Amino acid sequence: MTAMRRDLLLCGLFACAALVWPMISDMRYSVTQTTFFFIWATVVVQWNLVFGIGGIFSLAQVAIFAIGAYVTAMLGYYLGTSMLLAMPAGAVAAVAASLILGIACLRLYGPYVALLTICVSQVLYVLIVNDTDCFTNPPSGCMPLMGGVRGFSRFGDLGFRDWLGAGFYIGNYYVGLLLLTAAILFSIVIIHSPMGLAFRALRDNPVYAAARGVDRFRYQLWIFGLSAFFTGLSGAFYAVNTGVVGPVVFSFQHLLFLLSMIVIGGVGTVWGPVIGAAVLMLADEAMRELGDFRDIGMGLLLVACVVLMPRGLTGLFQDISRRLAKPAGTEGAR
Amino acid sequence: MDVFFQILASGLTLGAVYAISTVGLALVFGAMNMLNMSHGALMALGGYMAWFTMTGLGLPPVAGMLVAVLVCAGVGVMIYLLIAGPMLHSEGFETRVFIATIGFGAMLESVILMAFGPQPKPQPLAVQGGLSVAEVHLPVQNLLILVLAMMLMAALALLLQKSRIGRAIRATAQNRDAARLMGVRVGMVYALVLAISGGLAAVSGITVSSLSSLLPNMGGDPMLKAFIICVVAGLGRVPGSVIAALFIGLFEAVVQYTVGVRFSFASLLLLVIVVLIWKPQGVFGRHQGVRL
Repeated sequence: MTAMRRDLLLCGLFACAALVWPMISDMRYSVTQTTFFFIWATVVVQWNLVFGIGGIFSLAQVAIFAIGAYVTAMLGYYLGTSMLLAMPAGAVAAVAASLILGIACLRLYGPYVALLTICVSQVLYVLIVNDTDCFTNPPSGCMPLMGGVRGFSRFGDLGFRDWLGAGFYIGNYYVGLLLLTAAILFSIVIIHSPMGLAFRALRDNPVYAAARGVDRFRYQLWIFGLSAFFTGLSGAFYAVNTGVVGPVVFSFQHLLFLLSMIVIGGVGTVWGPVIGAAVLMLADEAMRELGDFRDIGMGLLLVACVVLMPRGLTGLFQDISRRLAKPAGTEGAR
Repeated sequence: MDVFFQILASGLTLGAVYAISTVGLALVFGAMNMLNMSHGALMALGGYMAWFTMTGLGLPPVAGMLVAVLVCAGVGVMIYLLIAGPMLHSEGFETRVFIATIGFGAMLESVILMAFGPQPKPQPLAVQGGLSVAEVHLPVQNLLILVLAMMLMAALALLLQKSRIGRAIRATAQNRDAARLMGVRVGMVYALVLAISGGLAAVSGITVSSLSSLLPNMGGDPMLKAFIICVVAGLGRVPGSVIAALFIGLFEAVVQYTVGVRFSFASLLLLVIVVLIWKPQGVFGRHQGVRL
């Protein structure tokens, strides 16, 4: 069985298991939290394509996610666009923003890219929060063009409320599952495609790869743009699912939370980000009772994982399984 | 004309404040290729330590400054021992240490938030009053910051250029392996550099908070600006980053006066993008041949 077939099979199994989850669990809370897991996992699976596979140390993924969310919310709020149309529009806008950003920062190396992209998302945050000029003046109060500190609400939903009534969250759950499954499939295809091979070549031997005509800049721009589509779409779905979009999606804590998922799960692997997202969501849930200690715990978890497990949980798992397999192998040789 | 001098005065003060924090970052990056993302939290820690010693324990300002610098230098050494040291020789050090220090900074910030609360506090280590020279109003605090920054920069330059330790730091920055073969204890140098950087962060935190007020997340913005300055100057260029800091301070003061405070950060970013496209290694950075 090839690696790609194995990954596709795992993806199918995961989707089937997730399909029946709302039927087993009758708690609304666990279903809605799982929906959030789908959203975050989609973002980190795409981020992993940029960071782990493409080797671009970009921290812009949260900003791209936020652009998808904001465009969707603004289309719905100002123009009354149907969410079915506004969501793809948000994703396309995210791709456009990502390509512009990519052209600006892909000539740089390593830490410069990280600094530039983190600054871009902070500037967007500052510009939105500090904007106090009224763009429209609805009865609820002054509304700046980008929503200001309050952000947008009541811009529409996918219509599950009319159709399913109180169970509308189950509709959102399945949309989220569809989104994540598509994002994982996309990531598997990219990793095992010629593009994935090109990136592996660039990582293993940059000179030889360049000599064989693999253009680093072109491939990196491609992956920057491609990964932005599902990131933007997950941002759009986040907007629809929560019903509110505020500047908090740009915040540093948010970025840290998502970055931890990739690092803890394992950078550059197909399943690492998904596992990392699940682990961090569960850890977050477990520390919810701890109040102020929650942020400290999150930071500690991140630092400990980076220092002690360089290749994340998936790397640790590989090491352990190899160590377990080794004694058996040597005995067989005798 | 008065406006010109006023802008010049506030721009130079801003630049001096930025220079103190930027030099710490540049020193660490120059010596060990490490971007310390917990610098902002260290600045907040320094500011709060000065507040705690003076308001909480009732000690004089000199003690406040000293305690802040010592505590932050200690945390700098801790960062080396717990985070940077263990992963120093492993693959992907630059990215991993970047992420780990983000986590450490977030942790430190939460600890400060828990210990001192979310309300803004005034920085006691500040001088009231001002001088008026020919219609130009200069707060004494700003002058003090300027003098302090100049003294610190001079001391640092002296340390780097004239002392044995400075020579060891510069040797390690140039070539880690050659320095080690010549008998430089590289680990000591790294710990020292992080300690100096921590001490500078404390001073910078005190100055920043004396101009506004103490908040647990007060270090975030100055840190990003310090990084912008580092990038403009070229990462790891210590003297260049001082000049860049003064220039950026003046630039920001001009933008704040002409366009508005709202856009100062955005225009700084625009500037850095232009610089990076024009000179990807920074204004003072040398083009380094990449060895593959």
